[in-house]
Amino acid sequence: MSSDFEINMKNLPIKNIKSFASFAILGLLLISSIYTVDANENAVVLRFGSYSSTTGPGLHFKLPFIDIVDKVKVDYQYKQEFGFRTLRPGIKTQYSKRGYENESWMLTGDLKIAEVKWVVQYKIKDAKDYLFNVKNVENTIFDVSEAAIRLMIGDRSFIEVLQSERESVALEARKYMQELLDSYHSGVSIQLVQLQGVVPPEPVSDSFNEVNRAKQEQETLINEAKQAYNQKIFLIEGEAEKIITEANGYAIERTNEAKGDIALFESILKEYNKAPQITKDRLYLETMEAVFANNKNKIIVDKDIENLVPFLNQKLNNIK
Amino acid sequence: MKKNFLSIGSVILVLVLMNSFFIITETEQAIKIEFGKPVGGPLVSSGLKFKVPFIQTIIKFEKRILEWDGIANEIPTKDNKYILIDTFARWKISNALEFYKSAKNEMLAQSRLDDIIDGAVRDEISNRTMGEIVRSTDREMEIYISDVKGSEDENNNNEDFVKKGARKDIVESILTKVQNKLFELEMGIEVVDVQIKRVSYNKQVQTKLFNRMVSEQNMIAEKYRAQGQGKKQEILGKQIQKEKEIVSGAYLKSQEIKGRADAEATEIYASSYGKSPEFYNYYKALETYKKTLDPSTYFILSTDNKYLKFIEE
Repeated sequence: MSSDFEINMKNLPIKNIKSFASFAILGLLLISSIYTVDANENAVVLRFGSYSSTTGPGLHFKLPFIDIVDKVKVDYQYKQEFGFRTLRPGIKTQYSKRGYENESWMLTGDLKIAEVKWVVQYKIKDAKDYLFNVKNVENTIFDVSEAAIRLMIGDRSFIEVLQSERESVALEARKYMQELLDSYHSGVSIQLVQLQGVVPPEPVSDSFNEVNRAKQEQETLINEAKQAYNQKIFLIEGEAEKIITEANGYAIERTNEAKGDIALFESILKEYNKAPQITKDRLYLETMEAVFANNKNKIIVDKDIENLVPFLNQKLNNIK
Repeated sequence: MKKNFLSIGSVILVLVLMNSFFIITETEQAIKIEFGKPVGGPLVSSGLKFKVPFIQTIIKFEKRILEWDGIANEIPTKDNKYILIDTFARWKISNALEFYKSAKNEMLAQSRLDDIIDGAVRDEISNRTMGEIVRSTDREMEIYISDVKGSEDENNNNEDFVKKGARKDIVESILTKVQNKLFELEMGIEVVDVQIKRVSYNKQVQTKLFNRMVSEQNMIAEKYRAQGQGKKQEILGKQIQKEKEIVSGAYLKSQEIKGRADAEATEIYASSYGKSPEFYNYYKALETYKKTLDPSTYFILSTDNKYLKFIEE
């Protein structure tokens, strides 16, 4: 740089050099005495290495060459993933899950192993603390998060972790993380701890699916049995209805017949009461007529005939 | 000649000035070294500082909290289980002067910390049971207890997870031990925090545990299946019961209906026939003749029969 400058000096008139140099120095001073802070940033100003101020978004002045400005994104949600990594974010985000078992497999309170995947979102709440108190804050958040989640998972049973306690694990882990990070004065605020998936680890997942299948089989069996039950009972109820209806039919028939019979009887009785002997005789003859009219086996024997039995035997044999 | 002298002098002046001042930033601390020996106390506060030019040199150290991440150690617990414990710590240089004398740099400090923290972790863990290490409170857990007996293997002592957890106590106790040790050693290092990151079984035990989990799940699956079959039979039984109940109920009702009808008919007959029992008997007798004396009946009639009385005459 300086050698280039010297070469240029030889070629240019001295007056011009002076004005050019002063102009350049002025410009340099101007440029290095202003700085801008973006909307989601805060800037920390160091004067001779010492903290002087934190400034918000906008255009600011500083002492050139003496003040050093460090910009920090304070309004930005940072995210860390545990047990998986996002390969390509998008509408259909792709994840990598393999190879993170060390991160995701953890012991539960009843000494089983659950696979837990989670994300942590955090913000920088104090740019000064963030810059000056902890070296490599990201790693610290990562370590603290692992410790916190495992602490919470370790105090709950396997089924609780899979089912009822997921939310409280996340909430308590977040609280615990914040406590630790505050104790380091890290200047970080944990916005969210979210369990993405809590499942049985891959080597045992089949057996868990098998249980689900068995559960479904059980339900299917019960449903089928209930269906058969309903079908059969509907049929039987129909049959029962039929029996009762038939009985009702019988009842109507029976009483109607009775009523018919007595109607007939009473009309004859009326006749009988008017002329008892005549009616009786008439009825007797009518009956006999009906009986004898269709009968072919009639033998009339005179009351005085004897030795009737042999004759009858012969007659009966013939018929046989 | 004079001009040259002046310019050389100003160059030297600049050099001297440049060597007299130094800056310590917010993330740094430093010590002054004079002829290879540290002089004065550690320089902790940031800002523009002065030193004796050329004679004193400055060595800077980190002021921020630093990482320490241990490797997972296999440690036997009090109840004789071998588990891998992975810890991390956060530490800082609390006294740059002591630190310079004992550890010299961060790398060496890390390896000293390895020994101290690993030792404290080992001491504490081998004095605790598995349940105490994994759990942190005594909260009641909802546990699936397999009701099939004789399925427990050597890694499954149910008492383990009934005990009160002590994870936080363990962590605190490790931290205290480490801090005390470092205080004794006067290394200028302060450990801010020690945390247990991972507790895990080694591969063999893990495989056994997975097998146990699988067999437990299989048991649960079988139980569901058996329950399904049982429930099916139960429903079938109920079905048969219901069937019989309905059919017999219908029978009962139909018999009642028929009975009532019969009774009614009887009453109708009786009320009517009662008007003349004598004629009824005669009338009924004739009716039964009509019905019972069918065409296959043999009649041997004597001429003095009432029916034939006119033949005699």
